[in-house]
Amino acid sequence: MTTNVRPVLEVRGIRLHETAADRESAVHRCADVLEELGAVHPTYREAMLDREWAMSTYLGEGVAIPHGLDKSRALVRRDSLVVLRFPDGVDWDGHPVTVCVAIAARGDGHVALLAALAQILLDPERARELRETTDAEAIVAMLSQEDL
Amino acid sequence: MSSIDGGDIRKLVVACDAGMGSSVMLAAQLRRELRKMPVIVEHHAIASIPSDADVVLCQAGLADRVRAGAPRSVVVGFRMFLGDPAVARVVAAVKQGGVVVGTTGG
Repeated sequence: MTTNVRPVLEVRGIRLHETAADRESAVHRCADVLEELGAVHPTYREAMLDREWAMSTYLGEGVAIPHGLDKSRALVRRDSLVVLRFPDGVDWDGHPVTVCVAIAARGDGHVALLAALAQILLDPERARELRETTDAEAIVAMLSQEDL
Repeated sequence: MSSIDGGDIRKLVVACDAGMGSSVMLAAQLRRELRKMPVIVEHHAIASIPSDADVVLCQAGLADRVRAGAPRSVVVGFRMFLGDPAVARVVAAVKQGGVVVGTTGG
């Protein structure tokens, strides 16, 4: 793939020192950052909460991927991913989550990044790096890696 | 349909509510695992599953809705996005042959 994924994931969309009392607060923080970046209409937040309430977005390896619903695509201004790290962990329906990769997508601009995320999570060593690195650039680089 | 032979699978669809997050990721994984096989892997929202999907993978809790919307496809529910045994069985059936049995019940 030759898609330039940079604009979908930017260093300013990586937040390493988040705290949240619970899953709902964590989703709110994800929505805050997507809004701050101008990626979504403010009401996208509601769709993210609805989706999370309907079914957990927990993936595994301490990672959740909060996102909206099909009907909320129109509320997305541009395909964007943001990464929020919660060093103290957030209880995600029984799973401890320390990384949220929040998604706002109206097209397929984020697909390559999610493919990279899947590959990272299947490799325990790289999954640990995603959870622990203190370098925001490194997270962008990991997720922007082209499929090998 | 309730079952299909792995060798007859030409289109595999991963379905979820939004077709934006989790299904996209699983589809990407499967596309990678099955890239040498003559199988098309797509991701779709439940409301727009193509009628020529041979097998549809979805979260177990969505299986009833998917079955209603895709009566001609074998519907397989899974619980985990990483390393789910039901997904692994579908991959193995496509690669090595064997029957894929649809999930029954909710």
